[in-house]
Amino acid sequence: MLLWLAGCSNNPHVAPWKTARPDGEPWITSYRGFSDDPRTLDPQVAYDELSHRVLSLTYDNFLTYDPFKKESTLIPGLAAELPVREDLPDGKVSYLCKLKPGIYFHDDVCFPDGKGRELTSEDFHYVFKRIADPKVQCPIASTLAEFLDGIGERYEAAQKTGTFDYDAPVGAITVVDRYTFRINLRKPYPQIKYWLAFAFTSPVAREAVEYYDGKVHDGKTRDLFRFHPVGTGPFKIAQWERGRLIRLIKNERYTAMKFPEGGWEPEEEARLRPYAGAALPIIDEIQLLPTREIIPLWTLFKQGYVEGIGVSKDTFNAVLGPDRELVPLYRERGVVLNKEVEMSTWYMMFNMQDKVLGPNRKLRQAMSVVFDAEAMNDIFRNGIALTTQQLLPPGIFGFDPNLVNPYRQTNVEKARQLMVEAGYPGGIDPKTGKPLELVMDTVADSGLSRQMAEFEKGQYEQLGIKVRIEENMFATMLKKQETGDFQFVSAGWNADYPDAENYFFLLYGPNQPPQGYNQARYTNPEFDKLFEKMATMENTPERYAIIQEMNRILIEDCVIAPLITDVSYILFQPWAKPVAKNTIISKFGGARYSILDTALREQKRGEWNHRSLWPAMVAGAALVGFVAWGLRKKGGVRG
Amino acid sequence: MGSYILRRLLHAIPILFGVMVITFILFYGIQSPRVMAKRILGDKAKEEAVQNWLHQRGYDKPVFINLKGGNPFDSQFFRHVGALATFNLGTSDATGEPVIERFKQGALPSLSVTLPAFFMGIVIAVCAALYFVHVRDTAADLAGTIGSVVLMSLPIMVWVICGHALFAVWLRYVPAFGFSLAPGDAVRFLALPVCLLVFAGLGSDVRLYRAIFLEESRGEYVRTARAKGLSNQAVLLRHVLKNGMISIITLTVAALPALIMGTLVIEDFFGIPGLGSLALDAIRSSDFSVIRATTYVGSVLYLIGLILTDICYALVDPRIKLR
Repeated sequence: MLLWLAGCSNNPHVAPWKTARPDGEPWITSYRGFSDDPRTLDPQVAYDELSHRVLSLTYDNFLTYDPFKKESTLIPGLAAELPVREDLPDGKVSYLCKLKPGIYFHDDVCFPDGKGRELTSEDFHYVFKRIADPKVQCPIASTLAEFLDGIGERYEAAQKTGTFDYDAPVGAITVVDRYTFRINLRKPYPQIKYWLAFAFTSPVAREAVEYYDGKVHDGKTRDLFRFHPVGTGPFKIAQWERGRLIRLIKNERYTAMKFPEGGWEPEEEARLRPYAGAALPIIDEIQLLPTREIIPLWTLFKQGYVEGIGVSKDTFNAVLGPDRELVPLYRERGVVLNKEVEMSTWYMMFNMQDKVLGPNRKLRQAMSVVFDAEAMNDIFRNGIALTTQQLLPPGIFGFDPNLVNPYRQTNVEKARQLMVEAGYPGGIDPKTGKPLELVMDTVADSGLSRQMAEFEKGQYEQLGIKVRIEENMFATMLKKQETGDFQFVSAGWNADYPDAENYFFLLYGPNQPPQGYNQARYTNPEFDKLFEKMATMENTPERYAIIQEMNRILIEDCVIAPLITDVSYILFQPWAKPVAKNTIISKFGGARYSILDTALREQKRGEWNHRSLWPAMVAGAALVGFVAWGLRKKGGVRG
Repeated sequence: MGSYILRRLLHAIPILFGVMVITFILFYGIQSPRVMAKRILGDKAKEEAVQNWLHQRGYDKPVFINLKGGNPFDSQFFRHVGALATFNLGTSDATGEPVIERFKQGALPSLSVTLPAFFMGIVIAVCAALYFVHVRDTAADLAGTIGSVVLMSLPIMVWVICGHALFAVWLRYVPAFGFSLAPGDAVRFLALPVCLLVFAGLGSDVRLYRAIFLEESRGEYVRTARAKGLSNQAVLLRHVLKNGMISIITLTVAALPALIMGTLVIEDFFGIPGLGSLALDAIRSSDFSVIRATTYVGSVLYLIGLILTDICYALVDPRIKLR
């Protein structure tokens, strides 16, 4: 037993795919925790973060984001250049798109001789056909159908007939030549560029979709396409054992992108300059360990067996001091703390169709002024989130860092004055002579959500009103938000893409449930008009000014009370300092730029995993002693 | 015996039907397919996408009976019952993968933990029980009783967290996480989960087996053996153990078929991709197809275990006849 223990390693990883590269250089493997298996690796279907993390490595997009810019800036991915907008005389718009030549799909048995063929414009045509096919169930089909030619028509026709003809063209795309195509829009929609940087439009090979049908061929069951990605990305999946391991290995034929020639911060010059213009990816393999529980993952990080980990509320106090910086233990280890501002905003949302809150702007303003978002941040976010005064988070064009929302400067006295103006002095409803009673709906799915609801209730009751918390099952809450059967709720939004349109459409009048997301049921013709103009504009000073005007209207109408933008704290080992600074790229596809110091990793793992066998010896001796002691005083078998 | 088994199998039908009904009602009581669609497709999924998802899976059909014309049994409930009765486990609502494939993938990892733990558990508990019978009414016996009660009192999660902290975090003897059945790797990955599973069940087993052996040790044949001059050890090992094992085997055989279903907590905690982990994952992701399949298959295996127990009784004890 002791001998076995002595020879047993606590390394949780399986052996790398290879030990050396073809040129004899060492094979570099990165090990990462992953909170679960991806649900699907069909890019036209996946709409969850985990799936997109893997998709962003196995599939490339036409466009991507500059890895070194905090504010998301589009750059060519598979594209030879950024799409060129063409305004047509009939008011329609098209984008001329040019592909880089010489990009190949991963080698796979679905292709003749197993060699991936070259990517062409027809592959993008095929992608938009898939989006229009109801059986594919692309979640953004209806959104794109609103703006792109032919998507809606083909979708409805296929729903009626039950079949989709993939040999017939779809109006959204015109193939110009092998490397050039046009995207045809019904009306101006600059946001199409962001969708071209999203996995929904990643090119897939028709051969792969048709080959991986999940059926039995020649006595063997083929995978479903959704579990067998064949893309053009920097990595390909070599092994996927559900719940155990996802092994990604380098795509040796990857040429679509190179390591940037510059653009990084000056202090990174010495580290990144040697890689300028280098072929991507830098590392050869990534092993993703689906780890649903935080305790084992945290142990693996401390032992040096995973490269990075997010700081959760359970580990916060062990890692960070009162100044929100690393405690000495981790600083001395060389651990790097990365703070990433999320594209999210959390707010209180008032139902504008509610009989009490809807017509009473002063009441909503009072409820906004009284709320202490700083206290909320300290109690529920460990003080690391950003309190905010506007709907847009930082990093999005239109965010105004100097904006002052007069109704988000916490001031209880001012709030009470507003209550007087609202017709509820001291919170008393003059009709009943009793405190005004409001209902706040919440989803009671955890102790934390209950604590949060109690906190929010306490904030409003400073006004003298009475707030009743209505706890709902997820299903009930969903229904209430769809039907408008609520007074006010806590809500939030994570953007699909970094554009103001993807936030302000939450309050656009015609965008009401069940088809749309305007759950506040806000309708303001002036706001709607500005939205319609802003949504179709490129990022110009004029657009910025319109966004500020929309902010002004929202602030005055107080439909929502913006509270918090989340910030993720992520720890990286000293040998795996992050390269990408852009929040989107660091989450999605940033591993193509990853650089690892494997010598330092081996050294640190050795230092952090010393083992002593004496506790096992002591335990064994104690057990033997106990048995012997009992036998010495034995009773015996009596009949 | 043949007619007895046939009768037991017929008795199983209403029980399994009950399982189907309860699973269906519980699922619909907790959340509708529409909510499941929203959870799986994401909050941002548009109404068309939700409707399309429901339609593709037949969740837009009437719930119990089709009163809209046509086949009255063309409803979600009868589809559910029909599928389970024919062991057509369908495809996962969350991933679209055939559930039977997930079962095939998960069975071996589950068995690699539960089977060794099952046999090790029996061997260790029998040895410990014999030891405590041998030293009964001494301080060691009292210590054993206290130890067993402590083992029984704490839930398995406590043992898992403590065992993980001691052997994987502090002593670093074994990996803190992961799974492999590759030769040379399997033992180091399985050692801790298997030992913890054995440990968590040891208290109750030791107490039970000790009681069985004590009962046996009061038999006439034990007095006869001792009168013939056999030593305590010889009586325990040759007679008490042999006769006591009849009860132990018949008791433990009931658990055998269900071993394939794995363990929820341990598999999830250590990253063992077994059926227990699959079930927990299905609950988290509201995957009704997988939840109903694991519940139903678990119930069938449990019933098989009970029938096997009866058969074992009849086989090993000549006083019992199955009619």
